[in-house]
Amino acid sequence: MPVERNEHELVLTRTFNAPRELVYAAWTEPQHLDKWQGAPEGFTVTVEVSDIRTGGRFRIGMRSPQGQDHWLEGTYREVSPPEKLVFTHAWVDENGKSSPETLVTISFEARGEKTALTLHQTGFTSDGARDGHVEGWTSQLDRFTQYVDSL
Amino acid sequence: MADNLTTTFAALADPTRRAILARLATGEATVMDLAAPFAMSQPAVSRHLKVLENAGLISRGRDAQWRPARLEGSALKDAADYLDKYRTFWERSFDKLDSYLDTIQAKEQKNARRKK
Repeated sequence: MPVERNEHELVLTRTFNAPRELVYAAWTEPQHLDKWQGAPEGFTVTVEVSDIRTGGRFRIGMRSPQGQDHWLEGTYREVSPPEKLVFTHAWVDENGKSSPETLVTISFEARGEKTALTLHQTGFTSDGARDGHVEGWTSQLDRFTQYVDSL
Repeated sequence: MADNLTTTFAALADPTRRAILARLATGEATVMDLAAPFAMSQPAVSRHLKVLENAGLISRGRDAQWRPARLEGSALKDAADYLDKYRTFWERSFDKLDSYLDTIQAKEQKNARRKK
């Protein structure tokens, strides 16, 4: 099986028809986040913690149509409006088992009245491994898949 | 030694280990085979192989003297699948953001026209 160079990281770009300040606000302000991050079909989403500043945490609860709970959790490493957002990102299940914690860097670049957004995500171990919660994540992939497919 | 995405990603985080995996994708190799092209000592290669083996990315042959390393595809596939799902997750999020930005800007323009 060939090993691809970027098997351990993700880079995505997208241009939005909106000024940078607005795009940044959409990623960071609760009144915007609620409206576009939204709940996938059948899921109930609860924003439990949202502290958007360096060192601040977020925790979003997600209940599937089958009644299974998962959380999206992370810590903001850098909050630099309107250019950059860096945060850790992990999925945690009801037993406290965590997915590999990834680091997400979002850069916002002004292109006239538009904004070029670049998202860079890398996987690393630190916290998950330290807490000893990471085990047999493979089966959790099904739940993540279910969530993503519902979006 | 259970399948563990975190140890997989830790193993993949190192460029030398990724290069070793790329080499093993073309066929099994011993520590000696790997040391020369990487200009590394055999103990250094062994250390990297231990990390890869612990992550389930390679297996080692039983021959006590040579113990060739062999690529094991499934851990790598789990990591690739996981990243792939994340890619879909972000793309769909971007789609939603796109619609949302169009909506709020249309509203703002409508309100601006009303005020005139």
